[in-house]
Amino acid sequence: MEAQKVDMFIMTNSKFFESHHINSIRERLLELDDSKWPMISTLQLKDPTTSLIISILAGSLGIDRFMIGDTGIGVGKLLTCGGFGIWAIIDWFMIQGATREKNMEKLQQFLY
Amino acid sequence: MTLNRNKLYSIIFISCLTGYIWLYYVAKKSITETSTSVEACFLKHTLNIPCPSCGSTRSIISLTKGHFAEALFINPLGYLIAFIMVIAPLWIIYDVSTRRKTLFEFYLKMEYYLRKPYFATPLIFLLIINWIWNITKEL
Repeated sequence: MEAQKVDMFIMTNSKFFESHHINSIRERLLELDDSKWPMISTLQLKDPTTSLIISILAGSLGIDRFMIGDTGIGVGKLLTCGGFGIWAIIDWFMIQGATREKNMEKLQQFLY
Repeated sequence: MTLNRNKLYSIIFISCLTGYIWLYYVAKKSITETSTSVEACFLKHTLNIPCPSCGSTRSIISLTKGHFAEALFINPLGYLIAFIMVIAPLWIIYDVSTRRKTLFEFYLKMEYYLRKPYFATPLIFLLIINWIWNITKEL
């Protein structure tokens, strides 16, 4: 793929991924075929800030985990009142990273 | 943090262990002081509204005493939690000792089904009804 397109993708979407992933995403995108560009450019990614807001407001019901697709952990949080409130607080700090990892998993389906 | 077998097993095992310690603590306290109830729920402390799973500790404690109807009346989710707390550690021990990952596969399969609207919608509906019931009976 053209370097210009790839750089544009990286610039607009860098907040959705962990910083240590961005380099490998860039390298991988450069090698990738041009026919995959429409798919990759229209990929729906979850915003880490949104999940942080949801985690603060409704974290003890596990809704943040449901939203990013960790259904099992979400049920666990729901059944235990957010892990006695402790897990809910831990998740305020974990959820952004978890969202970025989920985005990476989503993008990986198209990269490899 | 991609979820793998060992991570999932340690999360479940630690949760169950905390649950048992919590139950022991509450049961011991309820013997010495009869009237006070121990509450850990963050939502209930801040908003004064019980959350969907409030009362499950009391439910499990009355289950262990053999009051099945009372447990159901306090919070039906207590049955589910008690079931998970009994089954999960045994399943983990079985899996670890035989070096298999049947629980992890089962977890992924359940997660897959729970994401489907066909299964998720009735469950969410039941949960909301339970929540409304919790609020009306003022747990």
